[in-house]
Amino acid sequence: MFTGCQVTSAHSQYLSRDNTGIYPGLDVNRQMQIQNSGSMAMCSVYQGQTYNPPVQTPVVNSVPIPPKPMPPIAPPPAVKLGQEGFKKVCRSEEDSPSPFPGLPSGVLEMRVKEGSKIRNLMGFAMARMQGDKGASGTEGSARGLRQVVFSGSGRAVTKTITCAEIMKRKVGSLHQLTKLRYKTVKEVWENSEGGASEMTVHRSVPSISILLSKDPLDPTEPGYQPPEALSALWEEREGFNSSQSAACKRPPGPLPYSAAFPPGKRVCLGEGARAALPPL
Amino acid sequence: SGVVDYPRGALISQTMDPVEYTLRKRLPRKLPKRRNDVYVNMKTDFRAQLARCQKLLEGGGHREICVHGLGLAINRAINIALQLQASSQGALQLATNTSTVELVDDLEPEDPDETGEPMTRTRNNSAIHIKVFYPDPQ
Repeated sequence: MFTGCQVTSAHSQYLSRDNTGIYPGLDVNRQMQIQNSGSMAMCSVYQGQTYNPPVQTPVVNSVPIPPKPMPPIAPPPAVKLGQEGFKKVCRSEEDSPSPFPGLPSGVLEMRVKEGSKIRNLMGFAMARMQGDKGASGTEGSARGLRQVVFSGSGRAVTKTITCAEIMKRKVGSLHQLTKLRYKTVKEVWENSEGGASEMTVHRSVPSISILLSKDPLDPTEPGYQPPEALSALWEEREGFNSSQSAACKRPPGPLPYSAAFPPGKRVCLGEGARAALPPL
Repeated sequence: SGVVDYPRGALISQTMDPVEYTLRKRLPRKLPKRRNDVYVNMKTDFRAQLARCQKLLEGGGHREICVHGLGLAINRAINIALQLQASSQGALQLATNTSTVELVDDLEPEDPDETGEPMTRTRNNSAIHIKVFYPDPQ
């Protein structure tokens, strides 16, 4: 299905492709721990310096030594931390490089959070994209942007996709490039009762980035989606090619209105040819 | 095929007085399914779905599989795809596409007097399709 979807654009304008650092899976520096758990997050827990276990001496911030032996993969879900009387103090995302190679800097990035209202997001993004379509050149000038990136992580992923789909529907013929990767989120939890203990949790959450562009993109890039090509996705796969051609309007063989003429005054019309009928 | 029965008379009556309706979600349109298509849901265990994908890639001899997710299962589909990639030590690559799926709800009046009439409501949901593949050797 995907091979059938690739549309080679007639334009010669492609984004320059940088072959390094596209695929986040190849980042060997990041420790990927595979955790088969029902929760979405994998994380490792570091004990902050204010934690005072009854037996050991307090640990200075530089070396994170857990007081008791913990398995290397120990994700405490947020629900469990909340139940144990912990309150989240703050949460910050760690910035990672843009997954889109060769992207011009003047591109609008919409960061979708879990609590974002789609109405507000779309109002802003649509105004920027449709503001002044007279902008020329691929550098994103202040008005009439040609490209926009929607990014979100964790529970905001579905909302991110929804925003991108809405924009594709309202602004037609947008080229799409989608990238998936893990993002590390740093959370600081504090014990509400004792007030003395503090925990910093590094959580790895799935994150998505969707680039929508009025200009054609590189179709050989994995994750490329040409404008409006997936309408037949839910149709029969074998009939994909034939259904596409059948959807085009083609004049049928026998003219449809020939039967409406009274037999006596039937005029023989050529294919699509207009004939001047005598006034009745 | 069966339909899912979601009695939500109390909630719906706030927006659609005064008749109470029973909400039934219709299943999405018939899904085309090749051998290497995997549709992720929230009912089956996560580990089982992950193992099924791994078996298709390793034992099944498929060079690529396609992981699909609808609505809430989008997150799970992404997780499965990313974990497949991680456990392959960078051999697998991902190509992601998104789409919109139309879902239809059947609303049936709960009141046996049929003071209301059965209606249908259409809504849209997002879907994700992730192709997990071994790239062609160059």
